[in-house]
Amino acid sequence: MKNHLKALRAERGWSQATLGDQLDVSRQTINAIEGGRYDPSLPLAFKIAGLFQKRIEEIFHNDD
Amino acid sequence: MTTNQSSTRFFKIFVPAMLVYIITTAGIAALSNNSNTSNYLLYSLTLLPTGAIFVAFWAQWRFALELDEFLRLIQIKGAFVGIAFVMIIASGWGQLERLTDVPRFEVFWMLPIFWSVQGLAITFISKREGVF
Repeated sequence: MKNHLKALRAERGWSQATLGDQLDVSRQTINAIEGGRYDPSLPLAFKIAGLFQKRIEEIFHNDD
Repeated sequence: MTTNQSSTRFFKIFVPAMLVYIITTAGIAALSNNSNTSNYLLYSLTLLPTGAIFVAFWAQWRFALELDEFLRLIQIKGAFVGIAFVMIIASGWGQLERLTDVPRFEVFWMLPIFWSVQGLAITFISKREGVF
């Protein structure tokens, strides 16, 4: 899956570590999600969506 | 709990447990060379390194549960590689021992092999996934 996490984070001026702290995950996890190397679980995806006040599909979408 | 805190908690248990394992294993081996040592004493002392292994695995279990989902997945993948490696070696060599006259392989070495392969696998996967 692809996502807009990096852009959303940049809009708010947050570092990966800051975002990770807010989601209770590591900086490495944020880095892996942004790089498309890891697809988050549904609970984490909901948490991300809630933090940015968006729907999951507005942040994550299929590769094609 | 942060990853660093979890790592610190893990190593505070894992390192002493491994020291107990190594020291007691060496001690028991030295005692077993003494023909005056009773077998019952050796059986009893074997519980010490076995207990240390139990504690080390418990620490690893707790560590994995404390990590976030991405880092936990790396730990699980590493453990799987370690388990697969020792199972393949044990099964393959075991077949040879049953069917041919190859030298006997001591099962004792499975744990050190497991720890080593697991450690290498976690390092390799972490590097590939950009963890460090």
